[in-house]
Amino acid sequence: MIVDGVTKASFDELVEIETNDGERRLGKVLEVGSGKAVVQVFEGTTGLAITGTRVKFLGKTMVMPVSQELLGRVFDGLGRPNDGLPDPVADKFLDVNGEPMNPQSREYPTSFIQTGVSVIDGMLTLVRGQKLPIFSGSGMSHNILAAQIARQATVVGTNEDFAVVFAAIGVQYSEAQYFKRSLEESGALKRSVLFVNLADDPAIERIITPRVALTVAEYLAFDLGMHVLAILTDMTNYAEALREISAAREEVPGRKGYPGYLYTDLANNYERAGRIKGKNGSVTQMPILSMPADDITHPIPDLTGYITEGQVVLGRDLFRKGIYPPVNVMMSLSRLMKDGVGEGKTRSDHMEVGNQLYDAYSRAQEVRALAEIVGKAGLTGVDLKYLDAGDSFETHFLKQSPDENRNLDETLSRAWDILATLPEGELTKIKDKHIQQYYKGNK
Amino acid sequence: MSSNSLERTIDKVLSQKESALISEIESALQNSLKNLESSKSSLQVEYDNIIESSKKQAENLKRQIIGSSTLNARNKELVIIESAIDEIFDKAKEKLSKSNNEKNYERLLTRMIQDSTTKLGSEIIIQCNKTDLSLVKKLVSQEASNKKSKITVSDEAVDIIGGIKAVSVDGTMSLDNTLDSNIESLKPLIRKEIVQLLRGENK
Repeated sequence: MIVDGVTKASFDELVEIETNDGERRLGKVLEVGSGKAVVQVFEGTTGLAITGTRVKFLGKTMVMPVSQELLGRVFDGLGRPNDGLPDPVADKFLDVNGEPMNPQSREYPTSFIQTGVSVIDGMLTLVRGQKLPIFSGSGMSHNILAAQIARQATVVGTNEDFAVVFAAIGVQYSEAQYFKRSLEESGALKRSVLFVNLADDPAIERIITPRVALTVAEYLAFDLGMHVLAILTDMTNYAEALREISAAREEVPGRKGYPGYLYTDLANNYERAGRIKGKNGSVTQMPILSMPADDITHPIPDLTGYITEGQVVLGRDLFRKGIYPPVNVMMSLSRLMKDGVGEGKTRSDHMEVGNQLYDAYSRAQEVRALAEIVGKAGLTGVDLKYLDAGDSFETHFLKQSPDENRNLDETLSRAWDILATLPEGELTKIKDKHIQQYYKGNK
Repeated sequence: MSSNSLERTIDKVLSQKESALISEIESALQNSLKNLESSKSSLQVEYDNIIESSKKQAENLKRQIIGSSTLNARNKELVIIESAIDEIFDKAKEKLSKSNNEKNYERLLTRMIQDSTTKLGSEIIIQCNKTDLSLVKKLVSQEASNKKSKITVSDEAVDIIGGIKAVSVDGTMSLDNTLDSNIESLKPLIRKEIVQLLRGENK
């Protein structure tokens, strides 16, 4: 929408639009110049008449009312109540664009978050303040995994408060209902804030949703001292909305038509995770994105990978085999795991067991490829054991029910069960004292 | 064969059969006892697993029930507080609508008219409610004589509690300076104070 005769409007300024019949909508200024302002209307322009529509420039950017009362509530993509309850009573009104964290004040993330999902806790450990995305593909079980993590995630062994901020971006109605029901039925809603932007909501609203969610996450973390896990799904829909708006503004397109500032824009969101020195809370981010055509070199996963600290990649092969969660561990990595596990944090053998599992599964993959050529009869005894270990890894460790919450001890115990199928001499990544303590195989 | 030797043979066969049967029964008994013993440990493991998973389920269920009950209670409280807030605002609006005879209100209207000419220019059209019409006309005529501005008061009354709505002559700009819109814009801040009072947090 273009408004004429505007002199003092600013970029990103919030605009209130009043239709002929008194309906009020919100929008924001995208461009200003030559006495005109380009305004993107959040709720869409359907029904706006050229004459009689009134526009009010509010002189401020979009703010989100925040308070502890947001916990247990469901909002739309713009932060308006979506659960039939009244507006939350605000403790503060915060700019949804947030304030960049002073790099000097950032504290290095070193504390473990238990998700109850073996493959993540055991091999791709999530650390408080980390940003660890899940790269998925269309139709795969990323939403089920997201909901499971939201239900089960917790900080172990402390009495500190934990909260989940869940932003569903451009999702179908059925998916939105699934997330809501899943949190309600598990009793996790009382410590969660849910933002739902539906697929048929206007593109501009999708741009706001992660910002609103992260604003709330920052408030809960740094004002109320909670440990917050922010799950943003699906960031691909966010990037698509960004491309739509960029195209409408006739900007010069970059790779695959996405705007040249896609990297900066994604970083603006992802960099809102972290810990601040002298403050108790933390914001941990798990953005989920579905890779178009499972292409990991696509600009969205590619640029996301530059900013975040590792990635959890879901594999189509495992998904087809009916394994949930279908995490392709060979392509996945948590860069901060080494600093968040071990003696005093999780368990002293945690890192070594994780490394050994990587090693064993990698060898199992090689042996599987070899067996396809020479047949099982051509394999050595040790190779056959790796083959079994690989199968056992997928069925006993990786595979898990969506409502199964495994604690870390159970996860590591399952890992040791798999390692027990290998000869002791093959456990080259684990210290002797841990082998003596936990190894259950034939010595 | 005499009958005696026949009986002896039968007795011998019977006794052999009896001892064979007894030894079979004994070995079956021993096997059963062994099986029972070995099943005991596996049953114990199974029993422990069932108890463990039931405990987990019970714990989850407890958490669910407590979580949803706490949330329901909180949500009911929010609804009650909101209805109390609405009631307070209704009362406040009612009180404000009766305050047009007060001197303060006259001063407020004068400021609003001055504000309108500053923001929209000297030629404007003003609307107000039916009760304020004569007062606004009086104030406008005072203001127009003071500042050489051309302010028209519309005879068409608008349904508001108080204050004025000003529109530039060409109709492109309007200024909503009604008490209704002022209350509406301050509502989030006032709500917080009301809730604190209701919860006794402002003591």
